[in-house]
Amino acid sequence: MSWLRNPWGRPRVLGLMTVLYILWSVTPVAIAILFAFNNGRSRTTWQGFSFKWFTGSVGSVFHDPALQGALKHTLLLAAICVALATPLGVSLALGLQRWRGRGGGTVNTLMLFPLVTPEIVMGVALLLLFLRVFPGIGLGTEAQVIGQVTFTLSYVVVMVRARLVSIGREYEEAAADLGAPPRDQLFRVLLPLLAPAIIASAAITFALSIDDFVVTQYLSSDASTTTVSMLLYSSARGAPTPALNAIATVALLITLATLALAFLVYRRFAGGRDATAVAALEV
Amino acid sequence: MQGEVRLEELTKKFGDVVAVDGIDVQMPPGEFFTMLGPSGCGKTTTLRMIAGFERPTAGRILLDETDVAQVPAHRRNVNTVFQSYALFPHLDVAGNVAFGLKYRRLTKQEQRLQVKEVLELVQLAGFERRKASQLSGGQQQRVALARALVLAPRVLLLDEPLGALDARLRRDLQVELKALQRDIGVTFVFVTHDQEEALTMSDRVAVMRDGRVEQAGSPREVYEEPRTMFVADFLGVSNLLEVDAVGEEHSRCVLRLGDRTFLAEQGETDARGKLKAMIRPERIGVEPHGAPGDNRLPGMVERAVFLGGSYEIHVRVLGGEMLKVAMTNEGNPLTFGLEQGTPVTLYLPPDALRVLRPDPEPDAGDEEGQTAPAAVA
Repeated sequence: MSWLRNPWGRPRVLGLMTVLYILWSVTPVAIAILFAFNNGRSRTTWQGFSFKWFTGSVGSVFHDPALQGALKHTLLLAAICVALATPLGVSLALGLQRWRGRGGGTVNTLMLFPLVTPEIVMGVALLLLFLRVFPGIGLGTEAQVIGQVTFTLSYVVVMVRARLVSIGREYEEAAADLGAPPRDQLFRVLLPLLAPAIIASAAITFALSIDDFVVTQYLSSDASTTTVSMLLYSSARGAPTPALNAIATVALLITLATLALAFLVYRRFAGGRDATAVAALEV
Repeated sequence: MQGEVRLEELTKKFGDVVAVDGIDVQMPPGEFFTMLGPSGCGKTTTLRMIAGFERPTAGRILLDETDVAQVPAHRRNVNTVFQSYALFPHLDVAGNVAFGLKYRRLTKQEQRLQVKEVLELVQLAGFERRKASQLSGGQQQRVALARALVLAPRVLLLDEPLGALDARLRRDLQVELKALQRDIGVTFVFVTHDQEEALTMSDRVAVMRDGRVEQAGSPREVYEEPRTMFVADFLGVSNLLEVDAVGEEHSRCVLRLGDRTFLAEQGETDARGKLKAMIRPERIGVEPHGAPGDNRLPGMVERAVFLGGSYEIHVRVLGGEMLKVAMTNEGNPLTFGLEQGTPVTLYLPPDALRVLRPDPEPDAGDEEGQTAPAAVA
């Protein structure tokens, strides 16, 4: 075993562990995707390749109303969630950054709360909130949006603030020095510099929204507010067909595409310097 | 001519910490004024107050007789060159330079022309489309300068603008910056902790310490005629001797060190008692051991440091003090012989020997004496 002791040798054991881990984590996903293309009703026995669960006339992603509805609702929720959480989170991050007085630290810590609260706790809490405190809103799409914004907001704030801290005050001071009023300091300097973080956090929000099950499930009302993840959960025990694998594949592709897009845009803005930051966040 | 700055009783406190302690400074138009001091002396805070980034706790900032202390930064006709340049990374050179022109009523054509002119002034013509990250440190510094100068400020504030550059480039830029300032005639307020930089470039230097101006004057004045030990020490190597001032002879102060007598012409010649006398290394003469006469001090060479153009010789003198002597390298064989242990006699000429007022204890000193010198323009 001399190669094990050789300090100049390649780290073979570590390399092996890495490969094993990647196989372990990718294989189930790969199998699930593979069976989306099965030419039969089974999700365990391979019966040949086909696109029938994507485009076929019966029970496919593009023709089954339940699957289609779930996909549409998922994307709708994600779009609204991004549209609300991103600007709100950016404003909050900016506000917290400026808040120098007493209480700033406490608020900072509280902002991290949704990140560490078990989702089920938040789901139950939000459910009670909408049933008892704000019955006017009730359950359904609005509640789902509010619920998702509540926890994705923290991600936006944390990411944008991290970038704000690394940018510092100097660019704003330089802008003020050159005659830019506060509004222009924000729009001509700070926001362009924050763009990578904003885009990345929007992408993360989008992915989180698509992935979310617990909160979205708790705050749903009827079949029209079913999302892909809820559909997968409920029908996994009923009469599953490869159509479920197909819709999961579609959801996965959308998430991956969003993150890849964010990564590319981020790299363009940040000049490739800290593009790995998004790559790290994808996990 | 515009560009006069006057600071009156200017004070800045951060909580309980007094960063700037009621300074009075006057800078006439077109002057190259330097605030020099160690970190924490309040020089940068003062600059930031003139720029408008910090709000003074008390006092006035008069820019051509108008108090701007409460005017926000973007409405002051002063511009800043930042220590780290703070060039906008999302804009190219032209975008950076034109940034402030947007707030002047100019056509696109006029803007482009002004950008072109100022880039020529700082010798960066043709760099318009480069990004800040594609420029060297010296080039970034020029863009920062161009970005500020294009707005034709009455006063240009520079916060250690050469701090991030290597020694050689720094020396070149010192000369260039000084020449530029003389050409355009804008008041420069320069902050640095580098005494050589301050002496090379400034018309006037204010040496700062603990939020106050310790002494202000021309580079020659603060170097040759320091009023306090701090100023003497901060501006280059200074040799201090503990002596007894015992009397006066032809308006020279008579000092005693052991059995030796010294005459001193400079400084507080009417002071008496135990005090310190100071002399610059380059003013000390090295003579063979046993040379007779007043103002001479025997000693022994501890170390001779070869610096290329000069030698720095450390001599342990009578009384145990270590004096540093700078000798120009003239190829003189005498200097080669100055090895460790060589006995020598040092000649301290009366016109180079300065009697210093003892440093006041912190907070015990008379405030008028501290701030008054700075008010003299």
